[in-house]
Amino acid sequence: MPALSKASFLEHSHSSADPKLKNKRNDMRPENYEAQRQPPSNEYELNFGPNHPGIEGNYALKVKLHGDIVLEAKADGGYLHRGFEKLMEQRLWIQNIALVPRICVPDPSPMELCYSMAVEELCGLKVPQRAQWLRVMQLELSRIAAHLFTFGGHAATTGMYSTMYWGVADRDLLLDLFEEFTGGRVYSIYNIPGGVRRELPDGFLQRLTETLDYIESRLPDYDNLFFKNQVFVKRAKGTGVMSREQALEWGVTGPNLRATGLAFDVRRDDPYLVYDQLEFDIPVEESGDAWARTLVRRKELMESIRILRQVVEILPDIHGPIRAPIPNPLAWNVPAGETYTRVESSKGELCYYVVSNGGPKPYRVHVRGPSSMHAVQVLEKMSVGSRIEDIAQTMFSLDACPPEVDR
Amino acid sequence: MTQEVTHWLDNLLKEIEGIEVRRKSSRRVRVDVPADALPALLELLQGRAGYIHLSAISCVDWIDDDEFELVYHVWSYENHSLVSAHIRIAREPGVYLSVYDLYQPAGFFERDIHEMYGIQFEGSPNMEKFILTEWDGPPPMRKEFDSEAYINEHLSWQEYNPEWLQELVAEGGGVIIPPEEQRFSQKKK
Amino acid sequence: MSKPIDNAKQSKQNVTIEHEEAGSILSPLKALQFFMRKPVTVPLEPRPAADNYRGFHLNDHEKCIGCSSCQKVCDNAAITMVKVPHLPEDPINGIRNLRPAIDYGRCCWCALCVDICPTSAISLSREYVHTCTQEEIDSYFILPNETGIHGEYYGEGWQKTSDSDLLDLNRQPMAELEAEERIDNFNEIVAGYTDQQAVIEASRCVQCGMCHDACPTHMDAPEYIRSIWQGNLEEAVRWIYQSNPFSHVCGRVCTHRCEDACSIGRRGEPVSIRWLKRYAMDSVDHERIKQIAAEGKADYLSGKQIAIIGAGPAGLTAAYDLIRKGHQVTVFEARKEAGGMPRYGIPEYRLPYDMLDRDIDVITSMGVKIQTGIQVGKDITMTQLEADFDAVVLAIGLHLGRSTRVPGADHKQVRKAIDLLRRTTDDEDYEIPHRAVVIGGGNVAMDIARTLARQQQQQLGKVQVTVTALEDMAHFLADPVEIKECLEEGIEIYDARGPQACIIKNNKLVGLKTWKVRSIFDEQGRFAPKYDEQDEQIHAADMVIEAIGQMSDNNLLGDELTEILDWQRGRLSIDEQGRTSADWLWAAGDCVNGPDVVHAVADGHRVAASIDEWLNQQ
Ligand SMILES: Cc1cc2nc3c(=O)[nH]c(=O)nc-3n(C[C@H](O)[C@H](O)[C@H](O)COP(=O)(O)OP(=O)(O)OC[C@H]3O[C@@H](n4cnc5c(N)ncnc54)[C@H](O)[C@@H]3O)c2cc1C
Ligand code: SF4
Ligand code: SF4
Repeated sequence: MPALSKASFLEHSHSSADPKLKNKRNDMRPENYEAQRQPPSNEYELNFGPNHPGIEGNYALKVKLHGDIVLEAKADGGYLHRGFEKLMEQRLWIQNIALVPRICVPDPSPMELCYSMAVEELCGLKVPQRAQWLRVMQLELSRIAAHLFTFGGHAATTGMYSTMYWGVADRDLLLDLFEEFTGGRVYSIYNIPGGVRRELPDGFLQRLTETLDYIESRLPDYDNLFFKNQVFVKRAKGTGVMSREQALEWGVTGPNLRATGLAFDVRRDDPYLVYDQLEFDIPVEESGDAWARTLVRRKELMESIRILRQVVEILPDIHGPIRAPIPNPLAWNVPAGETYTRVESSKGELCYYVVSNGGPKPYRVHVRGPSSMHAVQVLEKMSVGSRIEDIAQTMFSLDACPPEVDR
Repeated sequence: MTQEVTHWLDNLLKEIEGIEVRRKSSRRVRVDVPADALPALLELLQGRAGYIHLSAISCVDWIDDDEFELVYHVWSYENHSLVSAHIRIAREPGVYLSVYDLYQPAGFFERDIHEMYGIQFEGSPNMEKFILTEWDGPPPMRKEFDSEAYINEHLSWQEYNPEWLQELVAEGGGVIIPPEEQRFSQKKK
Repeated sequence: MSKPIDNAKQSKQNVTIEHEEAGSILSPLKALQFFMRKPVTVPLEPRPAADNYRGFHLNDHEKCIGCSSCQKVCDNAAITMVKVPHLPEDPINGIRNLRPAIDYGRCCWCALCVDICPTSAISLSREYVHTCTQEEIDSYFILPNETGIHGEYYGEGWQKTSDSDLLDLNRQPMAELEAEERIDNFNEIVAGYTDQQAVIEASRCVQCGMCHDACPTHMDAPEYIRSIWQGNLEEAVRWIYQSNPFSHVCGRVCTHRCEDACSIGRRGEPVSIRWLKRYAMDSVDHERIKQIAAEGKADYLSGKQIAIIGAGPAGLTAAYDLIRKGHQVTVFEARKEAGGMPRYGIPEYRLPYDMLDRDIDVITSMGVKIQTGIQVGKDITMTQLEADFDAVVLAIGLHLGRSTRVPGADHKQVRKAIDLLRRTTDDEDYEIPHRAVVIGGGNVAMDIARTLARQQQQQLGKVQVTVTALEDMAHFLADPVEIKECLEEGIEIYDARGPQACIIKNNKLVGLKTWKVRSIFDEQGRFAPKYDEQDEQIHAADMVIEAIGQMSDNNLLGDELTEILDWQRGRLSIDEQGRTSADWLWAAGDCVNGPDVVHAVADGHRVAASIDEWLNQQ
């Protein structure tokens, strides 16, 4: 891991080319750290994270405050950097299927899909229909699980821990389903270039329906506890506002963009798999604040359930293989080429740029996680002027996912 | 993209000198331009064709050609199409212009590419380290950086010696192919 | 249950949540109702996970063959191959006593190892948890067996299914001449792979090297297969010449022990190693092959002279090796042309002789001198060879056909297969029988039957050949492919028939009498056929051909040398290096070790190495 401790943001604002960097870096170590004397002022610095309950995963936001108003904010990543892009260049094409879901812990499935789609495109593999429907099923389940997780976290930032316990417990029911049909609770590793790895177990669709019914029946409870909760409504409304223009200018996508009134969703507007055969709406909100963003996600839960019900309906009529034949993974040279694949993850536009030089391993894989926009520049900008107690809420309402940024 | 829009875009792109346009699918267009023509191209795409969303900038290290490839993926919410603009720049000195003024997301991607590949983007708002704050090695995504070798040099591996293994060794068995040998054989071939 | 689609419609209305107005400060209190509900409790005891769960490894040590494919595919370098000495080690059958040990500090439970395993020995269990304290960290490194990490079986979770199998179990089909197209000629039946087929076929290989271990001459098959897959055919030929200068021949007619050991063959069709070899050899220009074969040849002369008797695969392989080491080699061959049994035994529809010529040309191009038409023992004596050369290799093969010695077997129309095949090669005329009956169920019997069938078709316009064999179909000696093609060509096969007499009327051969075989071997496993005398058949014939085995013609040695040398049950004794009891004389190939070309090649290498070592010590 890169860092045990890091300099305050004032200290490390020098470029990497700085020859003094080496010494400076030693100064940063805790054993060498001496508090710096600053001229007296009403300003002070505060590090949110990397270990802070208000931070999603290990991530830091270093803020300069005047009273409880943020004057400046600096996002600081790297705590979850695992060098995935480099690793992927060193592994056989097939081996990366086990690696990619780990890039985003709360919503791993779109990662698998995006990578597999890229390899499929480079190889000209045609994914069988049934596999495409199964993939949709996996993706939407993952979206629900991710949203439940986010609600829980978000609620916790406003002190409402019950929602978090509920969210995590209900998500577990989805993980049970994942365990059943993919073999893994969190990292399903279900996609493989060409299709998916497993047929559904007997009676699975029935159990899926039951779980969907249950989750749906729980929604009023969630509404009462959280979404209609005036504490939450009051805290979230008007917090972390971004206008549609800003969102577009800042490259924001996903629910965050839709919360500014723009109905854009990769599933509909740049469709993949069989999304163009499915009926679903794209919920939008206009106000662009923490409340709107959360509400969009809340509504998306319903849409995902709706999609899943269609899958349950249609899947039994779609027969055939679940994977196109692929070469022996130990002797698989993917034809030279490049491709940019895009999917709508629970956090927005997730893209993979994959380059093959015709060899047995990817030449380059670039992962564009949606959070790389809203967890860094956007978060920095939005934090300025906000109050200290809203920082965590802003961050959670953006659904900033640090592992996706760090890769 | 509709037929009409396609024609219109093609004609528009012809305004850039040295451009090569390849339509990869109904919603994917690849264009290759000389590096110095990229800003003009992006300006055109953004200003006149609605490609207002910079989805990403990808960097590829073509070490054998002594070049970096930079790919600018821009999306149009109106045309529903993604244009990927490819340029190549010399690996040394590895300097290019920032497009932050056109597309703010570039700030993140340029900073990332700077950190991982060492490319300097002139005019980019922030070339500070972000992920590798305490790293003083070479930019690690460059092809010449061998991370496996680095690990072996700087870290030591934990050795196991469970009882069952000791018993097998006593019987005349034991470790025959350690995993790294298999990995290296993959490397060689 | 309402229809899901209706449900979906309903839920759509659900989406509009009037949070603001409905929201009251009291609404969260509704959650208090949950205090009344029965709490959800999950018992703490361990329970098995779902049927597909990817838990800890299970490995069926009896199924696992130690091929290490799992290790190759493992994305985290989590697998170490460990030798377990008490397990069987059987290279001929493709079994090693290596087993995968898993490092759970690295494993990510992706189950790629399961999906690739050629034997489906390995699977993952339905067990969730393993943890330990720092002191017990060794417990993270385990050698899985059938029971599971804690010795308690939770059932198999993720296993190989046909959906997840990562191996291609089917070989690329080989284009072949149909029976009608081939029956009236000696054209080669097998077409050989196209470029695309070869690459796909090569890509099926998992590089386990079982083939290498099983091959008598230990060809580097994984390496040349990989080179073919990479499209580097010259490199493939280079690997091939490391161990086999008879690769045009072996690429066509080898008995391919490698394929019998191939891991992919455990559940599917083994990789077509033989056809891939042929493909590589056929694809590279002959002149270039010569250059590649000459790479690494000594650029000095040792001054030593070696004589080799017999220009078959054994003799010529020894010659190839010895000339590479800088010795001078002269090969004496009784026949008009070099090549041995591949030319005088194997029919041309299986091995076009110009392909054999190429193999021989590579060897002679390196400086090996072959003197054909010189029969040692007649044209030149062993004594003379001993005097003129530093070492002599006997590689005379087996050129005397054995006889059944049944009554009437000495009739002139009772012939030896080996003899007719030689005549066919030499274009010596003999009268083609109208009705031929072959005795024997091995490949030689098939070769003569199919050769005669072709000649009958050419000259008489119809095929009337019968094969009678001691063995029943289940134990037939000939290759299944040979049997299939024989039948396609209109040859009749009678299995489990023992020859009793050749029936001669008025001095003319009219048929073969056979009895039904009840058993071939006695309890001790000795050859002692028992018959059902009631079940008698007469197979009409104007020629009976014996194809029941060959022996070597050792007359060339002369009485004196024969006396000096050690023998064992009529066979020349040799040591492990192939040396006879006379220090200047080695023996290789069929005359001492059988039974096929690739064994002869292996033998050739062995004696050459021994001779070279001995000469260097001098
Ligand atoms: C009909 C038939 C089909 C076969 N099919 C196959 C097959 O498909 N695949 C396979 O792998 N194997 C096959 N074999 C076996 C294979 O041909 C032999 O195992 C192989 O040729 C043995 O090689 P060798 O060098 O030991 O002997 P040979 O190839 O028999 O060569 C011996 C040489 O020595 C010469 N010679 C003998 N005596 C003297 C002397 N006194 N002076 C000078 N020269 C002498 C002979 O003329 C001959 O050229 C077949 C054999 C037969 C008979
Ligand atoms: S791949 Fe299967 S057969 Fe081969 S070593 Fe591994 S477990 Fe054993
Ligand atoms: S499950 Fe995956 S990581 Fe674990 S040993 Fe098997 S291949 Fe390696």
